[in-house]
Amino acid sequence: MSSSNTFQYALSSNNAWAGYKAHQNPQFFPKLAGGQSPEILWIGCSDSRCPETTILGMQPGDVFVHRNIANIVSPTDINTTAVIEYAVVHLGVKHIVLCGHSGCGGAAGALSDARIGGVLDTWLLPLKTVRFNHAEELDAITDEKERVVRIAQLNVEEGIKVLMNNATVREAIAERGLEVHGVFFDIGCGRIRELGCGTAHKFPAGDHVVRGKHGQLVFGQDGEAEIAAAQ
Amino acid sequence: MFSTRLGLSPLLHSSKQASSALSRLAIPRTTPLRLTLPSATATPRRFCSSHRSADNKDGKKDITMYLQETHDKVFENNRSWAAEQVAKDPDFFKKLEAGQNPEYLWIGCSDSRIPAEQITGLQPGEAFVHRNIANLVCNTDLNVMSVIEYAVKHLKVKHIVVCGHYGCGGVKAAMTPKDLGLMNPWLRNIRDVYRLHEKELDAIPDEEARYERLVELNVYEQCRNVVKTAALQQSYAENGFPVIHGWVFNFRDGLLKDLNVDFETILKDIQKIYNLTA
Ligand SMILES: [Zn+2]
Ligand SMILES: [Zn+2]
Repeated sequence: MSSSNTFQYALSSNNAWAGYKAHQNPQFFPKLAGGQSPEILWIGCSDSRCPETTILGMQPGDVFVHRNIANIVSPTDINTTAVIEYAVVHLGVKHIVLCGHSGCGGAAGALSDARIGGVLDTWLLPLKTVRFNHAEELDAITDEKERVVRIAQLNVEEGIKVLMNNATVREAIAERGLEVHGVFFDIGCGRIRELGCGTAHKFPAGDHVVRGKHGQLVFGQDGEAEIAAAQ
Repeated sequence: MFSTRLGLSPLLHSSKQASSALSRLAIPRTTPLRLTLPSATATPRRFCSSHRSADNKDGKKDITMYLQETHDKVFENNRSWAAEQVAKDPDFFKKLEAGQNPEYLWIGCSDSRIPAEQITGLQPGEAFVHRNIANLVCNTDLNVMSVIEYAVKHLKVKHIVVCGHYGCGGVKAAMTPKDLGLMNPWLRNIRDVYRLHEKELDAIPDEEARYERLVELNVYEQCRNVVKTAALQQSYAENGFPVIHGWVFNFRDGLLKDLNVDFETILKDIQKIYNLTA
């Protein structure tokens, strides 16, 4: 497809989507126009393979979103900070989900010693620091893909620390039980898993169980999930 | 491995918890585009406000359970979505894993009602996305500048879309004479857009109409800010792309409006002062 065709495609596809939504549910757009009350703030990577609302199986109005290069939460970045402030104070979201992903270009860039150029080296500095702090563990990983995965996970853990120490977030956790989750999206299988950082560890054992009719899914501390028979 | 173990759990999708959690959402679930979700038959059960009291132990447990439920729903939805993609195309995620080659950079508002991919029908892998409060492109913001640089220089996107929306809370907040603390430095950029177009905006008597026009002018000015970057100017001189588009999303009908931003003219216009091609 030539590039002007893809452009036309996006606009005409929007037309079709709007028509479909309105046909299925005439109240869909009037309700959206009425305002937003999302329960989730998503902080993820700009990577085109991580469309948050789609991979979460959610609808317009459900997820407030900030996406940047390598889902970095930098303490003095006013862009991310303004998003957090707006979502937590003004919208009162119940969850903050910080999501890293496999095959992240930013994470791979931070593992290289080459200078990227422009402003990117400065933006990726927090990731470089993660690499420095975990050099031994990262260097021991022989598979390059796995090393990119591991630094991206460590990056989420670092981001969670910044989030948990943000004054606004701290207050909301203490006052109304705001939850902060570190998760990881595996592009190779399309699934998200919890990394067991954030507020999750504060909940007593058993709270991290997804109960089904015939079984239950248990999230362990390392994010491994197991299926057990229903009790 | 995690994924194969999870793949064994189709029964979990019929979880009662999940369907009651779904039924509580404000947006009707009757029209999933890509998913088959459990139908919401249970009556909505919202925890009563007295339960918010910190002394009320049971209440606190209730809230914890409620919070947990809404999060579980997300994981269940994600599993259904992943399974559905594989059912349609067994190699879907393998192809994605191989790398990204998006033609678009989308710079939009964080507002939950504008998921870029859903409203444009673009698939995973097709749009590189940055979303912030009121879709701003600020010169000193390394966050958005890194996104533009990466998208243009490394991914070589062909189109950059700045997408605003009517009813933007960020734009509204910037029109309010109020100290918003930490948000002041960010929202200040919208106040500056107003100042640039003060005459035109002041001449609009109806407040709602003035607000809508400010949303459009904000998109226009952010498009100009993209054109002012070195990455854009250099790539355009060399390759003839990317080109810039200014769009506004309207919640009332779900449609995107193309503001027909005159990219060539903007480029010529700004390069007298902001030329960074050398
Ligand atoms: Zn990434
Ligand atoms: Zn907005």
